[in-house]
Amino acid sequence: MNISGEYKKIKRTGILPGVFAGGILAASIPILELAVRSEQYTGLVQSPLQTILEADWQMMAMLNMLLVITASCMLYHTEYADHAIQRITTLPIREEAVFIGKFLLMTGLSIAALVMEMLSLIFCTLHWFGGEGGAYETCYGEISAGAYLEFIKDLAADFAYCLGMLIPVILLSLLIASAWKNMWIALGIDVVCVFMATIIPERYFALSIFPFALPFRILEGVSADRAVDYLIAAAAEAMIIGAAEMIFMKVRRALA
Amino acid sequence: MSKMSFLTLVRVEWKKIRRSRILLILGVAAVMLWIPSILNAHLNFEMQAEGISPEHNFFIQGFMGMAWFMFPASMVTGTVLLAQTERGGHGILRMLALPVNTGALCMAKYLVLLILAAIQMVMMTGMYYLSAAIASQMQDYAFLLPPEFVIKTVGALYLSAFPMIAGFWMLAVCIRTPIFSVGIGLASIVPSVLMINTKAWFAYPMDYPFYVITAKYGELAYGLSEMKMELIPWIPVAAAFTAACLGTACACFGRNERR
Repeated sequence: MNISGEYKKIKRTGILPGVFAGGILAASIPILELAVRSEQYTGLVQSPLQTILEADWQMMAMLNMLLVITASCMLYHTEYADHAIQRITTLPIREEAVFIGKFLLMTGLSIAALVMEMLSLIFCTLHWFGGEGGAYETCYGEISAGAYLEFIKDLAADFAYCLGMLIPVILLSLLIASAWKNMWIALGIDVVCVFMATIIPERYFALSIFPFALPFRILEGVSADRAVDYLIAAAAEAMIIGAAEMIFMKVRRALA
Repeated sequence: MSKMSFLTLVRVEWKKIRRSRILLILGVAAVMLWIPSILNAHLNFEMQAEGISPEHNFFIQGFMGMAWFMFPASMVTGTVLLAQTERGGHGILRMLALPVNTGALCMAKYLVLLILAAIQMVMMTGMYYLSAAIASQMQDYAFLLPPEFVIKTVGALYLSAFPMIAGFWMLAVCIRTPIFSVGIGLASIVPSVLMINTKAWFAYPMDYPFYVITAKYGELAYGLSEMKMELIPWIPVAAAFTAACLGTACACFGRNERR
């Protein structure tokens, strides 16, 4: 795919430093929270990752989502701003390929942000829960390479789950961004969607699989069945949104 | 040729965004906000233990949802709209060629943002009365509150947002890369949840609207919150912040284009 081409396009848009700054901001939340009131959490007898994610993931997920919608708007804004998209349509490139390139790029950027957040989780766990008799020891056994491996395995599962929950948001915000030439309309719709996600009550499963509500889900402290349900929902949504975008582009080209 | 009057400028700025469909987005948000409130209207009766009456709870919960995220975020969207309409087609160059004070132009745009915020408030209040009437029918209980209470609370919410809007406007004017002005604006909303619970809440203008409505909630539900609306040092800080932001915005406005 032309992911490298898409990467070159964002060079002067500030998306790259933006993602970096967003990732650092989200990563600093658990550190700040634990620095201020670690005594509230260190006594808890449960997996340290669960403690941290339950306390802070809502805000971190919100920041991740805001990062994704802003970056998505920018990714298409660069195409629409000076009618670059019209030039693309005259090239032997399909608009669908452009979308896929942007999707892969956005996924890569999200992975970068998530990795920063996971590094912060490692730091928090070892710093505040890794002491003698801390939650890390009760959960993974004495400090050793094997225990560390177990911990990393858990962390990797959390990382993969969070990424999976973010994929539908990436696709949907890119779809919205590609549908409107004016950035504020796309941004406005995204903002309304994020807002809807924040007021959806968690009790209703059918409502809580709204794409913009998915990133608030965490793997820790949830039954395995429920977690799998959400993964299936995310995968289904990703396919539906992807297909919708392909159809949308075909229809728009046919009508243009 | 005489200089354009300030009112003319505001009218011109307003005309520019008339076809932007921003009002549609604000309207959709206002409608969406109240749907869960209507569906969950029965939950309001459970809050009576906290000392808050169901009708007050219905009102406050709805406006809390808006003041925390939707209202600030739609103002960020509004700043993008105002900044983009000028940059597309070099509109700003033409405006600068007119016998207009750039500072006045900048202030006119800020005023348009305030008008957008006012319209959103009116929409919210209208939708509140509509949904309260529907909820009253469904639950067989009068959810409607007297207009003077509603207008007072919404008015306080609106006035408290002026510094925040000035901050967003400064970001949009001074930071040329949209991703940073939008990103910083949106990201600055998130910490307001933390800031309203601290003693230094008045130092963070993005949380004023949320603070006002949360404090109202604490006032209605005795014992639930100990927030007080102390005007000192809040008002001086807010005024200084607003003045600083608007001053910076007016100084930055059109600077790159004038060169």
